[in-house]
Amino acid sequence: MSSKYIERFSTSERVLHWIVTASFFTLLLSGLGLYSRLFNGYFNLFGGGQNAILVHKIGGIIFFLSSIYMYFNHQKDVSTFDQDDKEWVDKRGGYLSREASHFNIGKYNPGQKLFALYVAAATTILGVTGIFIWLPALFPRWIVQISLLTHGLMFVGSIMFVIVHVYLATIGNPGTIDAMLYGDVKRGWAKKHHPKWYKETTGENT
Amino acid sequence: MADTINQATRKGFLVDTSRCIGCRSCQVACKQWNKLPADKTSNKGTFENPRDLTSALFNRIKFIENETSGAVSWLFLNERCMQCGDAGCMKVCPSPGALYRTRDGIVAYNKEKCISCKYCVSACPFNIPRYDTNDKVSKCNLCQSRIEGGIAPACAKACPTGSLKFGKRSELIAKATAAKKALYGENNLNGLGVVYALEGSPEKYGLPSSPSIPMSIFLWKDVIKPLGILGFWGSIGAMLLHYVTIGPKKVDDEETGKGDGHE
Repeated sequence: MSSKYIERFSTSERVLHWIVTASFFTLLLSGLGLYSRLFNGYFNLFGGGQNAILVHKIGGIIFFLSSIYMYFNHQKDVSTFDQDDKEWVDKRGGYLSREASHFNIGKYNPGQKLFALYVAAATTILGVTGIFIWLPALFPRWIVQISLLTHGLMFVGSIMFVIVHVYLATIGNPGTIDAMLYGDVKRGWAKKHHPKWYKETTGENT
Repeated sequence: MADTINQATRKGFLVDTSRCIGCRSCQVACKQWNKLPADKTSNKGTFENPRDLTSALFNRIKFIENETSGAVSWLFLNERCMQCGDAGCMKVCPSPGALYRTRDGIVAYNKEKCISCKYCVSACPFNIPRYDTNDKVSKCNLCQSRIEGGIAPACAKACPTGSLKFGKRSELIAKATAAKKALYGENNLNGLGVVYALEGSPEKYGLPSSPSIPMSIFLWKDVIKPLGILGFWGSIGAMLLHYVTIGPKKVDDEETGKGDGHE
């Protein structure tokens, strides 16, 4: 109770997140050469384009399953928005001002919820279009063509979101990365960023 | 890796369909020169045979049957890779050198560099590339080795009526235009390497009237790809800018200290 830290993510939640992380970056590296000939050199990491495609397929299956599983694990927390969330959205979470800001936020803020919902949607779409691209002979030509386009588009959205995600979870909000590494966050961090969640977890007032 | 083509020296075919008698010498000569095995085929009540291109059939005669008051007439079309001046297959191929442009303007390929992604199949406006049993691309390359040696492709050599004419593309087109032939493929896709003089509309032959690279492929390669790269660096730039202008949300020591007891 009186420890300096409180638990934010359990061991299994952290391991799952690391599986998603590792498979995401595997997909990124193995897919870059397929995205454009400009990135052809990335194929060498896997010993050629054909191997990169194989790794991309295996990585895709792992990412799809783990990412979807992660979404359902957090579905309750990330798919509902309340009045406090609205205030956060109205003030852009205080991220566009140097002024100190305080929002009565639960376990996740609306930005995190939006990210989770995007990732869940993107995982589904990337997975389905990936199957069409994988087996182009089994599906009508136009479906494969639309899939190539959509797969690229959802990837672009994903990588841009991930850049923001990594920034906010590291140097943008010092102390946040602890939740991914050890699972425990400082009490002060929790009170500042997620006061409602802190109150629910500890029973203390902030 | 821009696909550049020299229109002045480009070589190609002029296919005069009015001269084609459907003998399929071109099919046989192609098989022989390229050492392609026979495909299993089936009788479907038409003289057309085989019914589609395969990884071992680079060109074939399409028989279009027309029935008018009980009498049957045919249109013949030599179906093959069109050697597009702006080739969809080359546009999407992620493996440099797998599909490439020769000095003669031919879209050639190197199976050893093919990575079996099959993007070319989706990007072709004419449904031409096929994949062989080793999962590698195969299609007509206008007998690349023959034309580099200064002789006509096997099919053109075998054609008994002169329906298939091989030569300098600009000269073939000039001759056909002088003979008042209606040409198909002169300007589409930066000019097809295989230009047709058809006896009727392209649709009658099952050809798209104005062939182009599919819209989805254009959006993917010419819009999403460059914008995506911009979006990637833009996102990184925006985060760095945020860090140095607005800065991180630090947790004050005062807040951290509050409520702390033992470790």
